[in-house]
Amino acid sequence: MKFVARVALVSAAMIALAVPAGAAATKGPAAGKTVTVGVIADVTGSAAVYGTMQKNAYDLATADAAAGIIDAGGATLSFNVQDAASDGAQVVNLMQKFTTDGTTPLVLGPTLSGEAFKAFPLAKAANFPVIGTSTTAEGVTAIGPTVFRVSLAESQAIPPTVAKVQSIWHGKNVAIIYGDDNAFTKTDGALFQREFEKSGATVVDTETFHIGDKDFQAQLTRIASKKPDIIAIGGLFPEATKIIEQAGKLGIKAHMVGGNGLNSTAMYATAGPAAQGVVVGAAWFIGNKYTGNEAFVKRFKAKYGSLPDQFAAQAYAAAQVVAALVKSGATTKDEFSAGLRGLRIVQTVLGPIAFDSNRDVKAAPVVLQIVKDGFAYLQ
Amino acid sequence: MLAQQLLNALFLGAVYALFALGYTLIFGVLDILNLAHAAIYMIAAFAAYSLVADGLPLPLAAGLAIVMAGVIGILLDRVAFAPLRRRNAGTLVPLISSIGVAIVIGAIARAVYGIDERHFVEGGLDATPIHLGPVTFTSLEAIILATAIGLMFGLSYVLRATVLGRNIRAVAQDRVAAALLGVDLERTIAATFFIASALGGAAGILTGLEYNAVSLDLGSQIELKGLAVIILGGMGSITGAVIGGFAIGIVETLAVAYGLSAWRDALTFGVMFLILVARPAGIFGARALRSA
Repeated sequence: MKFVARVALVSAAMIALAVPAGAAATKGPAAGKTVTVGVIADVTGSAAVYGTMQKNAYDLATADAAAGIIDAGGATLSFNVQDAASDGAQVVNLMQKFTTDGTTPLVLGPTLSGEAFKAFPLAKAANFPVIGTSTTAEGVTAIGPTVFRVSLAESQAIPPTVAKVQSIWHGKNVAIIYGDDNAFTKTDGALFQREFEKSGATVVDTETFHIGDKDFQAQLTRIASKKPDIIAIGGLFPEATKIIEQAGKLGIKAHMVGGNGLNSTAMYATAGPAAQGVVVGAAWFIGNKYTGNEAFVKRFKAKYGSLPDQFAAQAYAAAQVVAALVKSGATTKDEFSAGLRGLRIVQTVLGPIAFDSNRDVKAAPVVLQIVKDGFAYLQ
Repeated sequence: MLAQQLLNALFLGAVYALFALGYTLIFGVLDILNLAHAAIYMIAAFAAYSLVADGLPLPLAAGLAIVMAGVIGILLDRVAFAPLRRRNAGTLVPLISSIGVAIVIGAIARAVYGIDERHFVEGGLDATPIHLGPVTFTSLEAIILATAIGLMFGLSYVLRATVLGRNIRAVAQDRVAAALLGVDLERTIAATFFIASALGGAAGILTGLEYNAVSLDLGSQIELKGLAVIILGGMGSITGAVIGGFAIGIVETLAVAYGLSAWRDALTFGVMFLILVARPAGIFGARALRSA
């Protein structure tokens, strides 16, 4: 069965690569109807760097749906982005609002896994469909049968990434540094520990930090004293860039690897030469050749003046999934729930995606390496 | 490893101390907590970033931004504290007033600079490591440390050996008596705000340079630690702020050095609690600004 699914995905990928972008909108069962999808994103507050990318992607998706670039089968599709301000209580309030006020048949978001653990139980209680687009911690979709996610879980991204780097680096001693106050980064830390030990390496040191920290020299000095071959970073890019930069200053030469949180153009723009060679296991490659990706990157850059990151790409992919469901006739919450359960492969900027039986996205991670001015597939 | 960790602690502690000096100076003179101090720390770093981005050489940009921080401090006093002082509003109302100013400064910074982190140099600062025996550091870090320590000595000199310093100490000792003896109260308070905010701004700029990163949350990360430093050192004590800053830097760094990174903050505040149990007025509580 798994083999059949893989073949189907590979075939879909090949078709996707062959289909030109920007196909004209078609007329579907929902033609003429209006669907407004509620979005919860941290546009302000401590997670604003991620939530703003998501908001921009949804605003672009609304414009693209109106222009027929995203095909919603003739329906008017728009995304109502509400700012959760990186505040757990506001996330809960917004989820309460969206699941009860009848303005939306589906909710996308919130931005962070920790927020999802607070908000998704409300969706479960209301039997309301939700899609996480950047909530990658373990256990998110297990919250309830109406919880789906297009974001590749860290448990899907990290194991193949570790396997790939170990096939090249053959590291014996590994140090791990991760954020211990965030569900996502804690998941990364635990997964790196498990996967590197599974690969036969010894974890010689484990250090922690807090989101927002700027000084990592004490942790890195301790790591340096253990002489690891590899340093695994469980973090998001604002901290990861500083870890990499400060490791360079301290003269640390170990290989470095991280997960989805490091998949940002800020990695090479900010950390500079120190970031070269860092490996990132992620859900999206900015230079991938899947249908519409190149055009998405171009339009995003033209509209906002900056390149999209993975948060933006996953949000846009969620919009594409929603459009596919609307095209097939879904306009109510029950129709979206049923549509998500039976979703066939959808072509997105992440590549062809579908959901597995746990409602997690079924897609392959990409293992990237930072080169001079960007990312490239790790060879 | 210990030598390197102590050097790391020195870098960290110097910035904590510099930040806390401004905090404690205003408390020593006016008996109020200026919670807008962290916002000035942040906005000064952004100002220096802007000036560098406009092509000014870094030392000139940093100097101008420090002066600007001092001027903002004077404005802060005029807007948030002076009217309340005239109405004898006590110590809690100015505290809330300073929070209001901090929020306004934060909103202005957000409107001007957006939410993205800004970098003095895109692509990383040139940070060629200097190896000196068992320790490694960069020339930039050495300059930052020397600047921070130089500013601390400079403040100490101003307070001990200048007319302005004597006036500040007199106002801190007894405002009414100082006024009766001819000290211009408002001018002295304005000078205090200028010096305190300039020091806070300098700390923000040095932090921004050290990590090549300026962001809206820059101040929020140091605010609580700065408060801890001045309570630990003794409210209003200049020496206490310096010793407290380095002490917290050392405890934080050594917590990590001995494998307790997950307990870093708990340990830091735990040690602070124990010291305060033994000396409720802080390490130099009896030697506050009034006797500096």
